[in-house]
Amino acid sequence: MITFQNVSKAFDSLKVFNDLSLHVATGEILGVVGPSGSGKTTMLKLITGIVPPDTGTVTVAEGAVGYVFQEPRLLPWRTALDNVAGSLRAQGKDKAGARAAAAGWLERVGLAGFEGYHPAELSGGMAQRVSVARAFAVEPRILLLDEPFSSVDTVLKSSLMDILESIIRERRATVVYVTHDLGEARRLADRIVEIVPRRGVRELGA
Amino acid sequence: MMRSTTSHRRSLYAALGVAAILALWELLSLVVNPAIMASPVDTAKALAGLAWGSRLWVELLITLKRLVIGLAVGAGAGLVLGVLAGMEGRVRSFLEPLRWAGMTIPAVIIAVLAMFWFGLGDFTVIFIVALIVWPTMYVNTVSGIRSVDPKLVEMGRVYHFPRRLLLGEIYLPGIASPVMAGLTLSTGIAVRATVLAEVLGALSGIGHAFYRANSNLDAPQLFAWIVVLLALMAVIEFGVLRPLKRRVLRWRKEAG
Repeated sequence: MITFQNVSKAFDSLKVFNDLSLHVATGEILGVVGPSGSGKTTMLKLITGIVPPDTGTVTVAEGAVGYVFQEPRLLPWRTALDNVAGSLRAQGKDKAGARAAAAGWLERVGLAGFEGYHPAELSGGMAQRVSVARAFAVEPRILLLDEPFSSVDTVLKSSLMDILESIIRERRATVVYVTHDLGEARRLADRIVEIVPRRGVRELGA
Repeated sequence: MMRSTTSHRRSLYAALGVAAILALWELLSLVVNPAIMASPVDTAKALAGLAWGSRLWVELLITLKRLVIGLAVGAGAGLVLGVLAGMEGRVRSFLEPLRWAGMTIPAVIIAVLAMFWFGLGDFTVIFIVALIVWPTMYVNTVSGIRSVDPKLVEMGRVYHFPRRLLLGEIYLPGIASPVMAGLTLSTGIAVRATVLAEVLGALSGIGHAFYRANSNLDAPQLFAWIVVLLALMAVIEFGVLRPLKRRVLRWRKEAG
Protein backbone atom coordinates (compact mmCIF):
# COMPACT_ATOMS: atom_id res chain seq x y z
CA MET A 1 0.00 0.00 0.00
CA ILE A 2 1.24 3.50 -0.89
CA THR A 3 -0.53 6.74 -0.01
CA PHE A 4 0.34 10.30 -1.01
CA GLN A 5 -1.58 12.80 1.10
CA ASN A 6 -1.56 16.45 0.03
CA VAL A 7 2.05 16.17 -1.10
CA SER A 8 3.84 19.19 -2.52
CA LYS A 9 7.39 19.10 -3.81
CA ALA A 10 9.52 21.74 -5.50
CA PHE A 11 13.18 21.83 -6.54
CA ASP A 12 14.28 25.43 -6.02
CA SER A 13 11.63 27.43 -7.88
CA LEU A 14 10.45 24.48 -9.99
CA LYS A 15 7.21 23.13 -8.55
CA VAL A 16 6.83 19.42 -9.35
CA PHE A 17 3.78 18.44 -7.28
CA ASN A 18 1.17 20.66 -5.75
CA ASP A 19 -1.19 19.05 -3.25
CA LEU A 20 -0.92 15.55 -4.73
CA SER A 21 -3.13 12.88 -3.19
CA LEU A 22 -2.99 9.33 -4.52
CA HIS A 23 -3.59 5.84 -3.16
CA VAL A 24 -2.16 2.58 -4.50
CA ALA A 25 -3.79 -0.49 -2.94
CA THR A 26 -1.79 -3.53 -1.81
CA GLY A 27 -1.10 -5.79 -4.81
CA GLU A 28 -2.21 -3.16 -7.30
CA ILE A 29 -0.13 -2.33 -10.38
CA LEU A 30 -0.29 1.39 -11.02
CA GLY A 31 0.91 2.71 -14.35
CA VAL A 32 2.17 6.31 -14.28
CA VAL A 33 2.52 8.17 -17.55
CA GLY A 34 3.49 11.72 -18.32
CA PRO A 35 5.86 13.78 -20.41
CA SER A 36 9.59 14.02 -19.63
CA GLY A 37 10.29 16.24 -16.65
CA SER A 38 6.75 15.97 -15.31
CA GLY A 39 7.89 14.39 -12.03
CA LYS A 40 7.51 10.65 -12.67
CA THR A 41 10.92 9.77 -11.19
CA THR A 42 10.41 12.24 -8.33
CA MET A 43 7.23 10.34 -7.45
CA LEU A 44 9.26 7.12 -7.12
CA LYS A 45 11.96 8.86 -5.09
CA LEU A 46 9.27 10.20 -2.74
CA ILE A 47 8.06 6.61 -2.25
CA THR A 48 11.59 5.35 -1.41
CA GLY A 49 12.06 8.20 1.04
CA ILE A 50 15.37 9.34 -0.50
CA VAL A 51 13.56 12.58 -1.44
CA PRO A 52 11.32 14.02 1.30
CA PRO A 53 8.10 15.93 0.49
CA ASP A 54 8.04 19.68 1.24
CA THR A 55 4.55 19.35 2.68
CA GLY A 56 2.12 16.46 3.11
CA THR A 57 2.94 12.81 3.82
CA VAL A 58 3.89 9.72 1.86
CA THR A 59 2.92 6.51 3.66
CA VAL A 60 4.38 3.23 2.43
CA ALA A 61 3.64 -0.28 3.74
CA GLU A 62 6.41 -1.97 5.73
CA GLY A 63 8.71 -4.26 3.77
CA ALA A 64 11.44 -4.30 1.18
CA VAL A 65 11.39 -2.04 -1.86
CA GLY A 66 12.70 -3.21 -5.23
CA TYR A 67 13.69 -0.55 -7.77
CA VAL A 68 14.47 -0.98 -11.46
CA PHE A 69 16.09 2.20 -12.76
CA GLN A 70 16.04 3.52 -16.34
CA GLU A 71 19.62 2.34 -16.72
CA PRO A 72 20.92 -0.82 -14.99
CA ARG A 73 23.01 1.03 -12.35
CA LEU A 74 25.19 -1.99 -11.65
CA LEU A 75 28.47 -1.75 -9.76
CA PRO A 76 31.09 -2.06 -12.54
CA TRP A 77 33.63 -3.71 -10.20
CA ARG A 78 31.26 -6.46 -9.10
CA THR A 79 30.11 -9.50 -11.05
CA ALA A 80 26.46 -9.99 -12.03
CA LEU A 81 26.11 -12.39 -9.08
CA ASP A 82 27.55 -9.97 -6.54
CA ASN A 83 25.47 -7.09 -7.91
CA VAL A 84 22.33 -9.06 -7.12
CA ALA A 85 23.75 -10.40 -3.85
CA GLY A 86 24.60 -6.84 -2.72
CA SER A 87 20.95 -5.87 -2.28
CA LEU A 88 20.41 -9.03 -0.21
CA ARG A 89 23.44 -8.34 1.97
CA ALA A 90 21.99 -4.89 2.63
CA GLN A 91 19.03 -6.74 4.15
CA GLY A 92 21.38 -8.52 6.54
CA LYS A 93 21.79 -11.81 4.67
CA ASP A 94 25.23 -13.45 4.97
CA LYS A 95 27.45 -13.51 1.88
CA ALA A 96 26.99 -17.22 1.06
CA GLY A 97 23.20 -17.10 1.50
CA ALA A 98 22.94 -13.89 -0.54
CA ARG A 99 24.98 -15.40 -3.37
CA ALA A 100 22.92 -18.60 -3.44
CA ALA A 101 19.68 -16.61 -3.65
CA ALA A 102 21.18 -14.26 -6.24
CA ALA A 103 22.19 -17.21 -8.45
CA GLY A 104 18.57 -18.41 -8.37
CA TRP A 105 17.29 -15.01 -9.49
CA LEU A 106 19.85 -14.73 -12.28
CA GLU A 107 18.66 -18.09 -13.55
CA ARG A 108 15.09 -16.86 -13.35
CA VAL A 109 15.84 -13.90 -15.64
CA GLY A 110 17.67 -16.14 -18.10
CA LEU A 111 21.24 -15.35 -17.07
CA ALA A 112 22.39 -18.75 -15.77
CA GLY A 113 26.05 -19.10 -16.71
CA PHE A 114 26.69 -15.34 -16.61
CA GLU A 115 27.11 -15.09 -12.82
CA GLY A 116 30.82 -14.30 -13.02
CA TYR A 117 30.53 -11.65 -15.74
CA HIS A 118 31.17 -7.99 -15.01
CA PRO A 119 28.59 -5.42 -16.24
CA ALA A 120 30.87 -4.21 -19.06
CA GLU A 121 30.92 -7.77 -20.42
CA LEU A 122 27.11 -7.90 -20.63
CA SER A 123 24.87 -6.39 -23.32
CA GLY A 124 22.49 -3.57 -22.31
CA GLY A 125 19.55 -5.96 -22.16
CA MET A 126 21.45 -8.51 -20.06
CA ALA A 127 22.57 -5.80 -17.65
CA GLN A 128 18.97 -4.63 -17.28
CA ARG A 129 17.94 -8.22 -16.53
CA VAL A 130 20.54 -8.26 -13.72
CA SER A 131 18.89 -5.08 -12.45
CA VAL A 132 15.48 -6.81 -12.56
CA ALA A 133 16.95 -9.81 -10.68
CA ARG A 134 18.36 -7.43 -8.05
CA ALA A 135 14.95 -5.80 -7.57
CA PHE A 136 13.12 -9.13 -7.15
CA ALA A 137 15.83 -10.74 -5.02
CA VAL A 138 14.90 -8.55 -2.04
CA GLU A 139 11.38 -10.11 -2.10
CA PRO A 140 9.84 -6.64 -2.47
CA ARG A 141 6.48 -5.67 -1.03
CA ILE A 142 6.76 -2.55 -3.17
CA LEU A 143 8.24 -2.66 -6.66
CA LEU A 144 9.14 0.60 -8.41
CA LEU A 145 9.87 0.53 -12.14
CA ASP A 146 11.30 3.71 -13.64
CA GLU A 147 11.01 3.35 -17.43
CA PRO A 148 13.01 0.12 -17.17
CA PHE A 149 12.85 -0.65 -20.89
CA SER A 150 13.54 2.78 -22.33
CA SER A 151 17.08 1.90 -23.34
CA VAL A 152 16.49 -1.57 -24.87
CA ASP A 153 15.29 -2.47 -28.36
CA THR A 154 11.72 -3.54 -29.16
CA VAL A 155 12.34 -7.32 -29.34
CA LEU A 156 14.26 -7.33 -26.09
CA LYS A 157 11.67 -5.08 -24.48
CA SER A 158 8.96 -7.63 -25.19
CA SER A 159 10.93 -10.53 -23.67
CA LEU A 160 11.92 -8.43 -20.63
CA MET A 161 8.28 -7.45 -20.12
CA ASP A 162 7.28 -11.13 -20.25
CA ILE A 163 9.78 -11.93 -17.49
CA LEU A 164 8.69 -8.94 -15.42
CA GLU A 165 4.99 -9.64 -15.86
CA SER A 166 5.25 -13.30 -14.84
CA ILE A 167 7.23 -12.49 -11.68
CA ILE A 168 4.98 -9.57 -10.73
CA ARG A 169 1.83 -11.72 -11.04
CA GLU A 170 3.45 -14.47 -8.99
CA ARG A 171 4.78 -12.16 -6.24
CA ARG A 172 1.68 -9.97 -5.86
CA ALA A 173 3.80 -6.93 -4.96
CA THR A 174 2.40 -3.42 -5.08
CA VAL A 175 3.88 -1.96 -8.25
CA VAL A 176 4.33 1.58 -9.52
CA TYR A 177 5.33 1.41 -13.16
CA VAL A 178 6.52 4.69 -14.64
CA THR A 179 6.65 4.99 -18.43
CA HIS A 180 6.07 7.49 -21.19
CA ASP A 181 4.55 4.73 -23.33
CA LEU A 182 0.82 4.37 -22.72
CA GLY A 183 0.76 1.02 -24.58
CA GLU A 184 3.35 -0.46 -22.20
CA ALA A 185 1.40 0.85 -19.23
CA ARG A 186 -1.83 -0.69 -20.53
CA ARG A 187 -0.16 -4.09 -20.87
CA LEU A 188 0.97 -4.29 -17.25
CA ALA A 189 -1.11 -1.92 -15.15
CA ASP A 190 -4.41 -2.41 -13.30
CA ARG A 191 -4.88 1.35 -13.26
CA ILE A 192 -3.18 4.23 -15.04
CA VAL A 193 -2.69 7.83 -13.93
CA GLU A 194 -1.21 10.67 -15.90
CA ILE A 195 0.96 13.25 -14.17
CA VAL A 196 -0.20 16.76 -14.92
CA PRO A 197 2.91 18.97 -14.67
CA ARG A 198 3.10 21.16 -11.53
CA ARG A 199 -0.27 19.96 -10.27
CA GLY A 200 -1.04 16.33 -9.50
CA VAL A 201 -2.42 13.30 -11.29
CA ARG A 202 -5.37 12.52 -13.51
CA GLU A 203 -6.94 9.05 -13.70
CA LEU A 204 -6.82 7.48 -17.16
CA GLY A 205 -8.50 4.20 -16.25
CA ALA A 206 -6.86 0.89 -17.25
CA MET B 1 50.29 -11.28 -29.60
CA MET B 2 50.11 -7.60 -30.53
CA ARG B 3 50.12 -6.60 -26.86
CA SER B 4 53.20 -8.77 -26.26
CA THR B 5 55.05 -7.23 -29.24
CA THR B 6 54.19 -3.70 -28.04
CA SER B 7 55.36 -4.58 -24.55
CA HIS B 8 58.67 -5.97 -25.87
CA ARG B 9 59.20 -2.86 -27.97
CA ARG B 10 58.57 -0.65 -24.91
CA SER B 11 61.07 -2.68 -22.85
CA LEU B 12 63.61 -2.30 -25.64
CA TYR B 13 63.20 1.49 -25.71
CA ALA B 14 63.43 1.64 -21.88
CA ALA B 15 66.68 -0.40 -22.03
CA LEU B 16 67.99 1.99 -24.70
CA GLY B 17 67.10 4.92 -22.41
CA VAL B 18 69.08 3.37 -19.54
CA ALA B 19 72.04 2.73 -21.90
CA ALA B 20 71.91 6.37 -23.05
CA ILE B 21 72.04 7.62 -19.44
CA LEU B 22 75.00 5.34 -18.68
CA ALA B 23 76.83 6.49 -21.86
CA LEU B 24 76.21 10.15 -21.01
CA TRP B 25 77.39 9.54 -17.46
CA GLU B 26 80.58 7.82 -18.71
CA LEU B 27 81.23 10.67 -21.13
CA LEU B 28 80.78 13.33 -18.41
CA SER B 29 83.09 11.43 -16.06
CA LEU B 30 85.81 11.58 -18.71
CA VAL B 31 85.69 15.36 -19.04
CA VAL B 32 84.73 16.43 -15.48
CA ASN B 33 87.09 16.33 -12.50
CA PRO B 34 86.80 12.78 -11.01
CA ALA B 35 86.74 14.31 -7.51
CA ILE B 36 83.22 15.57 -8.19
CA MET B 37 81.98 13.14 -10.87
CA ALA B 38 82.61 9.41 -10.35
CA SER B 39 82.52 7.17 -13.42
CA PRO B 40 80.00 4.31 -13.70
CA VAL B 41 82.82 1.80 -13.14
CA ASP B 42 84.13 3.55 -9.98
CA THR B 43 80.55 3.83 -8.73
CA ALA B 44 80.00 0.09 -9.32
CA LYS B 45 83.18 -0.68 -7.39
CA ALA B 46 82.10 1.53 -4.48
CA LEU B 47 78.66 -0.13 -4.56
CA ALA B 48 80.22 -3.61 -4.45
CA GLY B 49 82.37 -2.53 -1.51
CA LEU B 50 79.32 -1.25 0.38
CA ALA B 51 77.34 -4.43 -0.35
CA TRP B 52 80.25 -6.68 0.58
CA GLY B 53 80.85 -4.94 3.91
CA SER B 54 77.11 -5.17 4.76
CA ARG B 55 76.91 -1.39 5.35
CA LEU B 56 74.62 -1.03 2.35
CA TRP B 57 72.07 -3.46 3.79
CA VAL B 58 72.13 -1.92 7.25
CA GLU B 59 71.53 1.63 5.96
CA LEU B 60 68.98 0.37 3.41
CA LEU B 61 66.96 -1.44 6.08
CA ILE B 62 66.99 1.62 8.37
CA THR B 63 65.77 3.87 5.53
CA LEU B 64 63.20 1.31 4.38
CA LYS B 65 61.75 0.99 7.89
CA ARG B 66 61.39 4.79 8.25
CA LEU B 67 59.99 5.10 4.73
CA VAL B 68 57.38 2.36 5.18
CA ILE B 69 56.20 3.61 8.61
CA GLY B 70 56.16 7.26 7.52
CA LEU B 71 54.31 6.42 4.31
CA ALA B 72 51.83 4.16 6.10
CA VAL B 73 51.05 6.82 8.72
CA GLY B 74 50.94 9.73 6.25
CA ALA B 75 49.09 7.97 3.42
CA GLY B 76 46.80 6.19 5.92
CA ALA B 77 45.88 9.50 7.57
CA GLY B 78 45.37 11.11 4.15
CA LEU B 79 43.11 8.25 3.06
CA VAL B 80 40.95 8.20 6.21
CA LEU B 81 40.65 12.00 6.42
CA GLY B 82 40.02 12.12 2.65
CA VAL B 83 37.14 9.64 2.89
CA LEU B 84 35.60 11.58 5.80
CA ALA B 85 36.07 14.94 4.06
CA GLY B 86 34.82 13.61 0.72
CA MET B 87 31.62 12.35 2.30
CA GLU B 88 30.99 15.32 4.61
CA GLY B 89 31.38 18.92 3.46
CA ARG B 90 31.74 20.25 7.03
CA VAL B 91 34.78 17.99 7.63
CA ARG B 92 36.21 19.16 4.30
CA SER B 93 35.85 22.84 5.23
CA PHE B 94 37.33 22.15 8.67
CA LEU B 95 40.39 20.40 7.19
CA GLU B 96 40.91 22.85 4.31
CA PRO B 97 43.31 25.22 6.22
CA LEU B 98 45.35 22.21 7.38
CA ARG B 99 45.52 20.85 3.80
CA TRP B 100 46.53 24.24 2.51
CA ALA B 101 49.27 24.61 5.14
CA GLY B 102 50.49 21.03 4.51
CA MET B 103 50.85 21.66 0.79
CA THR B 104 52.30 25.16 1.10
CA ILE B 105 55.00 24.85 3.80
CA PRO B 106 58.27 23.72 2.13
CA ALA B 107 59.49 20.24 3.09
CA VAL B 108 62.80 21.61 4.38
CA ILE B 109 60.98 23.88 6.87
CA ILE B 110 58.95 20.93 8.17
CA ALA B 111 62.22 18.98 8.54
CA VAL B 112 64.01 21.78 10.42
CA LEU B 113 61.00 22.32 12.68
CA ALA B 114 60.74 18.58 13.46
CA MET B 115 64.47 18.48 14.36
CA PHE B 116 63.96 21.53 16.57
CA TRP B 117 61.11 19.78 18.38
CA PHE B 118 62.25 16.16 18.54
CA GLY B 119 66.02 16.17 17.95
CA LEU B 120 67.66 13.58 15.67
CA GLY B 121 66.45 10.01 15.12
CA ASP B 122 63.80 7.61 13.82
CA PHE B 123 60.77 9.47 15.17
CA THR B 124 61.86 12.76 13.60
CA VAL B 125 62.29 11.17 10.16
CA ILE B 126 58.96 9.32 10.35
CA PHE B 127 57.19 12.48 11.55
CA ILE B 128 58.63 14.51 8.66
CA VAL B 129 57.71 11.87 6.05
CA ALA B 130 54.15 11.48 7.35
CA LEU B 131 53.60 15.24 7.47
CA ILE B 132 54.90 15.76 3.94
CA VAL B 133 53.00 12.80 2.47
CA TRP B 134 49.46 13.13 3.89
CA PRO B 135 48.15 16.09 1.82
CA THR B 136 48.78 14.35 -1.52
CA MET B 137 46.85 11.24 -0.49
CA TYR B 138 44.15 13.40 1.11
CA VAL B 139 43.57 15.48 -2.04
CA ASN B 140 43.42 12.41 -4.29
CA THR B 141 41.00 10.64 -1.94
CA VAL B 142 38.69 13.65 -1.59
CA SER B 143 38.51 14.15 -5.34
CA GLY B 144 37.97 10.37 -5.76
CA ILE B 145 35.08 10.28 -3.29
CA ARG B 146 33.47 13.34 -4.87
CA SER B 147 33.67 11.79 -8.32
CA VAL B 148 31.99 8.50 -7.30
CA ASP B 149 28.94 8.07 -9.57
CA PRO B 150 26.01 9.65 -7.65
CA LYS B 151 23.62 7.25 -9.42
CA LEU B 152 25.37 4.29 -7.78
CA VAL B 153 25.19 6.03 -4.41
CA GLU B 154 21.47 6.60 -4.99
CA MET B 155 21.06 2.91 -5.86
CA GLY B 156 22.76 2.02 -2.57
CA ARG B 157 20.44 4.32 -0.64
CA VAL B 158 17.33 2.96 -2.38
CA TYR B 159 18.38 -0.57 -1.37
CA HIS B 160 19.16 0.65 2.17
CA PHE B 161 22.86 -0.23 2.04
CA PRO B 162 24.17 0.30 5.57
CA ARG B 163 27.14 2.68 5.89
CA ARG B 164 29.60 -0.25 5.97
CA LEU B 165 28.25 -1.64 2.68
CA LEU B 166 28.03 1.82 1.04
CA LEU B 167 31.70 2.30 1.87
CA GLY B 168 32.87 -1.22 0.98
CA GLU B 169 30.77 -1.78 -2.14
CA ILE B 170 30.45 1.69 -3.66
CA TYR B 171 32.81 4.35 -2.29
CA LEU B 172 36.06 2.41 -1.77
CA PRO B 173 36.02 0.49 -5.10
CA GLY B 174 34.93 3.77 -6.73
CA ILE B 175 38.00 5.61 -5.46
CA ALA B 176 40.49 2.77 -6.08
CA SER B 177 41.93 4.38 -9.19
CA PRO B 178 42.61 7.90 -7.78
CA VAL B 179 43.81 6.34 -4.51
CA MET B 180 46.33 4.17 -6.37
CA ALA B 181 47.49 7.27 -8.28
CA GLY B 182 47.76 9.08 -4.92
CA LEU B 183 49.73 6.21 -3.41
CA THR B 184 52.20 6.20 -6.33
CA LEU B 185 52.70 9.96 -6.01
CA SER B 186 52.93 9.72 -2.21
CA THR B 187 55.57 6.99 -2.39
CA GLY B 188 57.81 9.11 -4.61
CA ILE B 189 57.35 12.06 -2.25
CA ALA B 190 57.99 9.79 0.77
CA VAL B 191 61.32 8.53 -0.63
CA ARG B 192 62.51 12.09 -1.24
CA ALA B 193 61.23 13.22 2.17
CA THR B 194 62.94 10.28 3.94
CA VAL B 195 66.30 11.09 2.36
CA LEU B 196 65.90 14.81 3.10
CA ALA B 197 64.97 14.07 6.71
CA GLU B 198 67.94 11.69 7.06
CA VAL B 199 70.35 14.25 5.63
CA LEU B 200 69.12 16.86 8.10
CA GLY B 201 67.80 14.97 11.10
CA ALA B 202 69.34 11.51 11.52
CA LEU B 203 72.64 9.78 12.20
CA SER B 204 71.90 6.72 10.07
CA GLY B 205 70.14 5.67 6.88
CA ILE B 206 70.87 6.25 3.19
CA GLY B 207 70.40 10.03 3.47
CA HIS B 208 72.93 10.27 6.28
CA ALA B 209 75.37 7.97 4.44
CA PHE B 210 75.01 10.21 1.39
CA TYR B 211 75.68 13.28 3.57
CA ARG B 212 78.83 11.64 5.03
CA ALA B 213 80.13 10.63 1.60
CA ASN B 214 79.66 14.26 0.56
CA SER B 215 81.52 15.54 3.64
CA ASN B 216 84.37 13.09 2.94
CA LEU B 217 84.48 14.17 -0.74
CA ASP B 218 84.05 10.50 -1.66
CA ALA B 219 82.47 10.85 -5.11
CA PRO B 220 82.22 7.10 -5.96
CA GLN B 221 80.35 6.41 -2.70
CA LEU B 222 78.16 9.49 -3.20
CA PHE B 223 77.10 8.18 -6.60
CA ALA B 224 76.76 4.63 -5.24
CA TRP B 225 74.13 5.83 -2.73
CA ILE B 226 72.23 7.57 -5.54
CA VAL B 227 72.18 4.26 -7.44
CA VAL B 228 70.91 2.50 -4.29
CA LEU B 229 68.09 5.04 -4.03
CA LEU B 230 67.11 4.55 -7.66
CA ALA B 231 67.16 0.77 -7.18
CA LEU B 232 64.98 1.14 -4.09
CA MET B 233 62.45 3.22 -6.03
CA ALA B 234 62.46 0.69 -8.88
CA VAL B 235 61.77 -2.21 -6.51
CA ILE B 236 58.93 -0.28 -4.83
CA GLU B 237 57.36 0.82 -8.10
CA PHE B 238 57.72 -2.35 -10.17
CA GLY B 239 57.68 -4.90 -7.34
CA VAL B 240 54.98 -3.46 -5.10
CA LEU B 241 52.92 -0.59 -6.53
CA ARG B 242 52.29 -1.87 -10.06
CA PRO B 243 51.28 -5.41 -8.98
CA LEU B 244 49.08 -3.85 -6.26
CA LYS B 245 47.43 -1.58 -8.83
CA ARG B 246 46.85 -4.53 -11.17
CA ARG B 247 45.25 -6.47 -8.32
CA VAL B 248 43.06 -3.63 -7.04
CA LEU B 249 41.85 -2.68 -10.52
CA ARG B 250 41.71 -6.19 -11.95
CA TRP B 251 37.96 -5.89 -12.63
CA ARG B 252 38.78 -3.40 -15.38
CA LYS B 253 40.92 -5.93 -17.19
CA GLU B 254 38.38 -8.72 -16.67
CA ALA B 255 35.69 -6.42 -17.98
CA GLY B 256 37.86 -5.74 -21.05
